[in-house]
Amino acid sequence: MTREEKSGRLGGAFLLIGVLLLLFGSYLGLAVAPRERFMGDVQRIMYVHVPTAWNAMLCLTAAFVFAVAYLWKGGWRWDCRLEGALEVGVLLSGLLCVQGSIWARPTWGVWWDWDPRLTTTAVMFFAFLGIIALRSFVDDPAQRATWAAVATIVAYVDVPIVYFSVRWWNSLHQMQSSPATVSPAFYLPLRTNAFGMLFVMAGFITLRARLARRRLAAQLAPPPALTRAAS
Amino acid sequence: MLSAALRKEALLQWRGLARTLAVLAFGGTALLLFSFAGGPDSGALREQAPGYLWLALLLSSTLALSESFDGEQEQRALEGLLLLPAPAAVLFYGKALANLLQLAALGSGLLPMAVVLYDMPLPRPWTLLGILVLGSAGLAAPGTLYAALSARARARQTLLPLLLFPLVVPVLVACVKATSLSVTGDPMGQLRSWTLLLVCFNAVYWPLCGLLFDRVVES
Amino acid sequence: MSGVITGGWEYVWAAYGVTAAVLALFALSLWVRWRAASRGEGTAVPEEEW
Repeated sequence: MTREEKSGRLGGAFLLIGVLLLLFGSYLGLAVAPRERFMGDVQRIMYVHVPTAWNAMLCLTAAFVFAVAYLWKGGWRWDCRLEGALEVGVLLSGLLCVQGSIWARPTWGVWWDWDPRLTTTAVMFFAFLGIIALRSFVDDPAQRATWAAVATIVAYVDVPIVYFSVRWWNSLHQMQSSPATVSPAFYLPLRTNAFGMLFVMAGFITLRARLARRRLAAQLAPPPALTRAAS
Repeated sequence: MLSAALRKEALLQWRGLARTLAVLAFGGTALLLFSFAGGPDSGALREQAPGYLWLALLLSSTLALSESFDGEQEQRALEGLLLLPAPAAVLFYGKALANLLQLAALGSGLLPMAVVLYDMPLPRPWTLLGILVLGSAGLAAPGTLYAALSARARARQTLLPLLLFPLVVPVLVACVKATSLSVTGDPMGQLRSWTLLLVCFNAVYWPLCGLLFDRVVES
Repeated sequence: MSGVITGGWEYVWAAYGVTAAVLALFALSLWVRWRAASRGEGTAVPEEEW
């Protein structure tokens, strides 16, 4: 089996496990879990929102690790993984912002709340979107890889600073706490969905890295005319 | 070595004084436009003045920063500079310091315009100058790094603000808060923590960007 | 927060629906891009460790 087939199967398996877990977890969250006392049924959004939040952060952390690995150890595979993690991270953080505003509307009566976590996610969404744009504007593969890795490190280091600055900035408002997702009846759908989202994320990164690898190979390969002349 | 690099940058900026003045004029125009967005109510304008001042400086900074590698780009001089027996970090710090000076000068030029247009009081000018320098430093370090990289990419006029603006959100927040505290008074003693945030941002990004600059230019 | 929030199922469905739609669309786009990259010449990927 070639490396490419291997990563295809691995990604597909991750995706399948993740989707099954997400279906089961969402069934638990929507139909089985009891109604929360104060938040009512709206609290059920948490079963998909919180797992997305954890995994979006995890995905950006993975991007940071891949970027450091590329700069220190080198190797195109880290660049391909970085490309995958960047795109999936932007996808998840964008999704998180949408979920967050759907959550904010019935609970606080507004579409956006300047909660430090949600705001940090929005800032990171745009920061990492900029890095994806950077990748598409640089043609030389080596330059693209190095610059994207540098920009990823610079942006990731900003996460705690943005978080604290928004927190202080918004400290006059009452800190809005999440509803209680700590009692045992709420654990199971939350954890099932968290693992489901984790597998979906891993599958997406694997498959996207495989796509990046194939594109890169086509770009690095000598033009077809040269190959034909040589053979 | 650093002083030589800084002298070179400062000399170039002095020769390009017309360009700096044009950027200042752009910032002044932005300040004027913000007052149309904020309405003629002078009370509201005075309240928003620190925010407008920093937004104008942020918008002008992309113009100033994006041109900071033009000289190297046009003459392919970067390769020559990298051949010198000096680490690339020296080149970075020379440029970043020159950009810091330029941005601080730009801010000091915009400040009187904000005072006139928005009727902004200035009870503690030295504190404000300190915030201006710290904020310019926060913009200059990542700004110089990103300018080096976007100067050699396509669509660089779009790329630099796209990369820089989300990154400097903490600088903007801290500078606006600190400026308005220094203008309206600081009964809770919060100015210190915003200054601390700015110092932390600089303490993280000045070494980090110097470290990474090497990789950006060698590729 | 005052009192209990009643109803709100439409928000719950919206949140789950958006999530499912975004994930499905991304999977679809991966598939489409993979097919596009697999077409044409020069798609042979070297097997050695990169």
